[in-house]
Amino acid sequence: MRRNTGDHVLAAIPLAWLAVLFLVPLGFTLVYSFGTSGFGSVTLGFSFANYAQALGPLYLETFLRTLAFAVGSSIACLVFAYPIAYAIARRSGRFKVVAFALMLVPYLASLLIRVMSWQILLAQGGPLERMLRSIGLLHSPLTILDSLPAVVVGTIAVYLPIAVIALAVVLDRIPQEVIEASRDLGASDSATFWTVILPLSRPGIATAALLTAVPMLGELVIPVLLGGNKGLFLAQAISAQYVQSQNYALGSAMVVLLVLAIAVIVALLVRLTRGFEATDDAPRRRARAKRVEG
Amino acid sequence: MTAPALLRESAHPPVGSRGPRLATGIALWVWFGVALVFLFAPIATAVVYSFNKGVGGKQTSAFTGFSWDWYTQAFSDSTIRQATGTSLIVAFWAAIIAVLIGTVLGFELARNPNRAVRRVLAALTYILLIVPDTVLGVSLLLFYTETRIPLSTFTLIAALTPPSISVVAFVIRARVLTLDRGVEDAAADLGASRLTTLRLVVLPQLGPAIGAAALIAYTFAFDNVVIANFLSTPTVNVLTVYLYGTLQYGPTPAVYATATIIFAATIVVLACAALLLRTTMRLRGSRRLLGTEAASADRGAVA
Repeated sequence: MRRNTGDHVLAAIPLAWLAVLFLVPLGFTLVYSFGTSGFGSVTLGFSFANYAQALGPLYLETFLRTLAFAVGSSIACLVFAYPIAYAIARRSGRFKVVAFALMLVPYLASLLIRVMSWQILLAQGGPLERMLRSIGLLHSPLTILDSLPAVVVGTIAVYLPIAVIALAVVLDRIPQEVIEASRDLGASDSATFWTVILPLSRPGIATAALLTAVPMLGELVIPVLLGGNKGLFLAQAISAQYVQSQNYALGSAMVVLLVLAIAVIVALLVRLTRGFEATDDAPRRRARAKRVEG
Repeated sequence: MTAPALLRESAHPPVGSRGPRLATGIALWVWFGVALVFLFAPIATAVVYSFNKGVGGKQTSAFTGFSWDWYTQAFSDSTIRQATGTSLIVAFWAAIIAVLIGTVLGFELARNPNRAVRRVLAALTYILLIVPDTVLGVSLLLFYTETRIPLSTFTLIAALTPPSISVVAFVIRARVLTLDRGVEDAAADLGASRLTTLRLVVLPQLGPAIGAAALIAYTFAFDNVVIANFLSTPTVNVLTVYLYGTLQYGPTPAVYATATIIFAATIVVLACAALLLRTTMRLRGSRRLLGTEAASADRGAVA
């Protein structure tokens, strides 16, 4: 391909903007995490004191709870989402479009409207309690609000649509012929699912896990509104360091730990798709690369 | 094909062999129905409870009676009016910037001749899609504070652009990949720089996709809570931050009325975006492309 001036100018525009607003601030966070903090000011240096504190008895539990919450909620979300995605992907035409749209509407609607109502739904004397009482499943007041279970329910509700969409996009690509071939060769429906469909949907599972677990690690609004703002999770601890305690150095160390946790999860999930890139995507990739270079 | 396979094939009616069995099918749709209730119950609740009388001016978990008052109150409340005004302006400029930069990024993701550059840009775009807003928000707060940049409407607008840019980029990339590359190569052969090619050849074909991306970017910027929460000041207060604050300390039903209005407006905006996307993207083709090229859930492009 012919090289013209402007080849790099174009790529430089978004890179520069995002560097200033994302990479450089992240770099500041990294540098400040090694500093020593006064109230609202930081003396730069090279000290691991903040990390010791962030991983000390006070915050280690928060960190581990956040990890467990993100991984657990993400798995729950994927298990809930998979059959929905499968149902959507196996259909065609207008119906599929409508089903996709039904998932997109809540996804793109304001986060607040999707979270705030759980404050009512799950409250004592709220609709859920009255419903459960009327069908005789509950005999005592519902005490789920302002606790971890309420946060998990709200989180699954918020992240379900994106998990469905990510899974459905990949399930949609599995050729019908492959499934028919599996049946023709005598596999039962469940055998077909476990040995053909599920393995082929691995990239979708990885993408869905990525799009749910990573944002969940830093989730702030849902725990604050449904968890009684008790500082259950890392994001709340970080927010408290920046907004209330003004301890930027400790807050920065926590952010760096959060980013490290994200990096580990991303690395693990990318591994999950690796087999695919090596096998079925490789020829197409090579072909595309040739087209691009040629 | 072997004989048993042929026999099996004929033993199954074509309809039955295509989808899952009936019982599985029914179970799947029941599951789908449960999910819809789970997803839409909160939204329905917000709408219903925006008409709740409440007790002592506060929202209650039991419905105490019907009232229109909260809508009039939401419209006459000066804080809500002011915060809405700020939100509209902030989201407008954030969307403009996100579209300008996100369009270039989306084009480069698809067409930059250098594979390494494409990879770096793609990694950055994906990271922006998943990185928690908390990380972005506090990093920028630290950055602005330490570089002595006073928080203002502009710093808020700038802070809201990165997530919107990544969404715009994915929508635009999906569209660019459907375009005929040969036309761009022809432009290059005739001596056009890539900038000129983008301006004169690609951009005119992107019109509706850019419109749709702009609307999605607008709702993203308008609805952002976390980044705005860290970077708003008493003088630059956006609606979501106001609502978020109220929701932590016993909201009035007026907050629910406001949220319902936002939701209705969002639906209208997104319907426009969907219509715009439909005008150029044949749904099936674009989704197939999305599937093979991105292997991910691009938010808008599926619509």
